[in-house]
Amino acid sequence: MVVDTEIATSEAPLGRPRTLLVGTLFATCATVMLFGALFALYMSVRNDVLAWGAEWFPEGSIELKPAGSLMSTFAISAVTMAWAHYSSTHGDRIHGYIALSLTALLGIAAINQTVFYFNDMNLPIDYSVATTFLYVIVGAHMVATGVAVLWIGLVLLRAFGGQIIGRHQDLVISVSIFWYAVVGLYTFIWLFIYVAK
Amino acid sequence: MTDTSLETGDPTAIERVATSTDANILGRYWLTTGTFALLMSLVAGVLVSLERFEFDGSQIFGSADEFFQFWSAHRVGLVLLAVLPMLLGLGIAVAPAQVGSSCLVFPRMAAFSFWTWFTGAGITITGFLIDGGLGSPNAGGQREAVALTLMGLLMVIGGLIGSTISLLTTIMAARVPGLTLKRIPLFSWTLLVSGTIWILSLPVLAANILLVYVDLRGRPAVRFGMEDAIWEQISWISTHPQIYAFSLPLIGIVFDILPVSLNTRLKRHDVILVLTGFFGVVSFGAYAQTFFDTPGTPVMSEALYVVQAFAAAILVFAVFGGVAETLRFSILNRGAASRNRVPPPMVLSLLALLLLLIAVLGGALRVIGSLDLLNTSATGAQMTLTMGATLVGTMAGVFWWSEIIFHKKAFQGLGFLVGLSTFLAALIIGVCDFLSGFLGQSDFTGSSLVAAGSPKDPVGLFNTVAVVGSCLFLFSCLGWICIAFKRPAVATSSADTWGGHTLEWSADPLVIEVASDRPLLDLAEREEAES
Repeated sequence: MVVDTEIATSEAPLGRPRTLLVGTLFATCATVMLFGALFALYMSVRNDVLAWGAEWFPEGSIELKPAGSLMSTFAISAVTMAWAHYSSTHGDRIHGYIALSLTALLGIAAINQTVFYFNDMNLPIDYSVATTFLYVIVGAHMVATGVAVLWIGLVLLRAFGGQIIGRHQDLVISVSIFWYAVVGLYTFIWLFIYVAK
Repeated sequence: MTDTSLETGDPTAIERVATSTDANILGRYWLTTGTFALLMSLVAGVLVSLERFEFDGSQIFGSADEFFQFWSAHRVGLVLLAVLPMLLGLGIAVAPAQVGSSCLVFPRMAAFSFWTWFTGAGITITGFLIDGGLGSPNAGGQREAVALTLMGLLMVIGGLIGSTISLLTTIMAARVPGLTLKRIPLFSWTLLVSGTIWILSLPVLAANILLVYVDLRGRPAVRFGMEDAIWEQISWISTHPQIYAFSLPLIGIVFDILPVSLNTRLKRHDVILVLTGFFGVVSFGAYAQTFFDTPGTPVMSEALYVVQAFAAAILVFAVFGGVAETLRFSILNRGAASRNRVPPPMVLSLLALLLLLIAVLGGALRVIGSLDLLNTSATGAQMTLTMGATLVGTMAGVFWWSEIIFHKKAFQGLGFLVGLSTFLAALIIGVCDFLSGFLGQSDFTGSSLVAAGSPKDPVGLFNTVAVVGSCLFLFSCLGWICIAFKRPAVATSSADTWGGHTLEWSADPLVIEVASDRPLLDLAEREEAES
């Protein structure tokens, strides 16, 4: 396999700027824009529907308890991610492993909770424009959560390989940026879809 | 070679093609595949223009639905499968060298993104060919094929975003010491600005397509996936103001070529940085989605939409001021150091800028409410002019940096002819469609006089001339392909044919001291002063 570029990368000076961090910021911006667009369209269509006096979600179809529980899961995961970040910057490998593992576990739990929530709601995707939006936004968020969990898994692998301190702090910082974005996006879903209905 | 190659033996040709992560090679892939997509898009464009010949029933296509599929394929193909990938290819091949980096950042992601785009482009084209596309006015397409087209487009967008992230990270984070953002070459700067706009707007398009896809799949569509509603949700990508976001790097190409060609220093580098930055801001158009208009307040009548059109025109005028000043300065200081003949890429780049100026002026006219041009063929004219400008600019860039991209000197004379004919073709189509718009011809004409908006008399003549323009465009593309496959008669004597001012022309950028936006010119001037 010809990978001349990799050789050049590995020979780059150690003082090289934080490429992973910059790349993650761009990727996170793109992800936020995707959801931003979906939220904007959701709000626009919802306003039009409500202005006509029509029903948005069927009465009583969305319960707040599971959504609140999901919000708590994500909020706790933000704390564990901050713990992972703190541990990596202080060279505390053991706490870094624990915090990252907990965050990944909470991410998997959030996906599981969402699946349970939607089974419980029992709203067909083609019931109305509102339910189509609901499935698209929440489905896309589940995918984003899954990507973040996989990324944490990758960071954990690198961590177990001894690369969580020093120059490789960027790995943890980058994944934490993306994770915080995922948590922030869920906060929007919770507030503007589940709570505001 | 890495250890892998030692373990598994030499890679086969297919392995080399599929696994290459070299910036130059990836840039060439984008340019080549973009060119072939351009060819397909232009074939669709010729068929569409032939259909417009007369409005007394379908001449070429079986129905208005088929006509619509080709019409939308031409537009989407031109923007997302041809011009943007070619521009990205030029950027991937040149920008890392311009900032002094030996490679792209995230090279594997860049390679993966290319192959994702390539597969997505194949799926999109297949979707169009099997009666799918992006919906149709009478819902006459195959739903599964429409879903396939949408899936292909999602992959195309994913690939474009991935490559853009790799390119932007290279420009932002892999610069050599001393090369601040204020000093980076203008092509890289404009790529940074426009790439940021792409990163912010392409996910919005992905969101639109995702919504359509989910609504379309399997069950009766609720609203977004209805076949007559699909195009309106995604057409903003090929109209004002978003279309300008794809033409911004053209300004960078002009200002990288012009001072070197005139053997002078660009006096207002920082002003051009600011102007292009503003141009990037006014080209953000993801909000301009007519499908989601609130009744009574159409987005195309909103102040922001109108202001963006006029701001774009003013900014391109200001850019022309920069060109004029550089030319004036060069004439005033014309001496022994001046070149005897003008390099063809410089002329092409200026023609491209002229085409962009015509496009933005047309865009400004289009948003004037009393002219009633918004839903007429002036919309298509503006797209053709802008994309034509970008294409001619990209051609100029490829000819200018050919030794960096292909390690061989391009056929400048032949290339100039191809670029000139592309310029003329885009100008002819653009002007004819614009005049037809004034006479009331709809943007999508359908295949009957009523669907075409019952335009007034000379429209038939303009449509006839536009057919000539479309054919010329197609022949220009064929000429472009011929140049790409023709081997050079003369071997490259030097890596720096033009006496370039920026780091891509240096054999070892790490040893060059960067104290201004033109480090090689500084070096040359220092050496001259010392001698």
